[in-house]
Amino acid sequence: MRIYVVDNGGQWTHREWRVLKYLGVDTKIVQNDTPAEDLKDLDGLVLSGGAPRVGMDPGKMGRNGEYLDELRQPILGICAGHQFMAMHFGGDAAPAKIPEFGKATLTVHKPDVLFDGLPSTFVVWESHNDEVSVVPKGFVGLASTPDCSVQAMRSADRPLFGLQFHPEVEDTQFGMDIFRNFVRECERLRR
Amino acid sequence: MFDPKAFIDEQVEAIRGAVKGKAILACSGGVDSTTAAVIASRALGDRLLAVYIDTGLMRKGETQDVDVTLKALRVSHRIVDASDEYFEALKGVTDPERKRHIIGNKFIELFEREATTFGAEVLIQGTIAPDWIESGGQLRDRIKSHHNVAGLPAEMKLRLVEPLRDLYKDEVRKVARALGVRVAERQPFPGPAFAVRVLGEVTPERVAVVREACAIVEEELEAAAGKGLMTLPWQYFAVLLPVQSVGVHGDVRVYGHTVGVRAIESVDGMSGTYSKIPHEVLDRISVRITNEIKSVNRVVYDVSNKPPATIEWE
Repeated sequence: MRIYVVDNGGQWTHREWRVLKYLGVDTKIVQNDTPAEDLKDLDGLVLSGGAPRVGMDPGKMGRNGEYLDELRQPILGICAGHQFMAMHFGGDAAPAKIPEFGKATLTVHKPDVLFDGLPSTFVVWESHNDEVSVVPKGFVGLASTPDCSVQAMRSADRPLFGLQFHPEVEDTQFGMDIFRNFVRECERLRR
Repeated sequence: MFDPKAFIDEQVEAIRGAVKGKAILACSGGVDSTTAAVIASRALGDRLLAVYIDTGLMRKGETQDVDVTLKALRVSHRIVDASDEYFEALKGVTDPERKRHIIGNKFIELFEREATTFGAEVLIQGTIAPDWIESGGQLRDRIKSHHNVAGLPAEMKLRLVEPLRDLYKDEVRKVARALGVRVAERQPFPGPAFAVRVLGEVTPERVAVVREACAIVEEELEAAAGKGLMTLPWQYFAVLLPVQSVGVHGDVRVYGHTVGVRAIESVDGMSGTYSKIPHEVLDRISVRITNEIKSVNRVVYDVSNKPPATIEWE
């Protein structure tokens, strides 16, 4: 199982790498200007969060768009990766009315593979100034917190997932389980 | 998961491959650099010299402790007293990033001096993942300049080798335990030491206040944990704030200093929640600090998580 992490400059990019490594995945952190061609044999991809404000400096998101267009494997966008995914497919991201930092309570409204086996409410860790303001066509919102309505989304017809919160962070409950579910989905679709 | 034994073997090999001549190793006596010292010493034997710099900014009894620890681990080492140089370099400096840069540069200046004497071309450091992550670079924003990464000068004569670069503190502790390192469970302590726990100018007097306050926080929390009143937090310390406030000492007005107490739970230092310390324990800490350190008349407790705050204040 080979799943790489695209580095968009996040504080927790290396944590994503660590969680995948702990799950026994063959993983590596790659720069976000890596050609899509080099990633086409992977089983899955994680688009990390990062300091770039997706709406204001899309240039800093490198080739994330190419990965979303050209790769068919499951892709998990986290924070900036999630916001970029929404904008890329015709939705929108904007400065959050109430930015969230640290502890928040997540409620899952729509069951999905990523949340398999998890309770419908649990504590997650946040760190964002922007948020998804419009869910793109063909995507569905899956979870929210009191201050942010799109904490999770997925494409209805492709294995593309976006999370605003940070499952890779130690303080997020069930974070490892969310990654395990993503890895399992990558495994299922490989066959 | 993580296999400390395999990691040690890999790194001993990697260091042997990377260092053909002699190397010096920057050792603060903390978990990371002591662990790096034992691994490097296994790889290089007497081609390695661990160097501890006494910056004058360290905890109570630290310099003597480091000597004992390294002797027990049979790592050849040298202790350099540079406290006057550090206080001189930090005179009048209040910006936290400038403090970190001055300290990083000074470290390298001293390590280069030691390397020349020892005949080493390589500097081994116990840098761990949060150090380079938080120091930023390219797309990543700089949260704070860790002295051993962003505090380094642009041009360095020594070649860097960093065996623990991809590890977090919990993993380093596993390696330390596997190596029988006495300080494996010791709480983290910042490289720039008390320079970043004295907010504002760093003077010997202000450092003495925070050193005493930190020692009280450590003693009280360790005693409370020993009695089963609480579990020991991941990290716990005091900071001297640049804030004065009014108090009353023996019917006389005083305008004294404020100490902030910080205790936080974490696994890897990259996120954390503040510790829910019992009030009776906080009360003892407050009474002791304000009575044993005459210039302090107010103690506050920090109830911030990371993020939005960081663990240290600077």
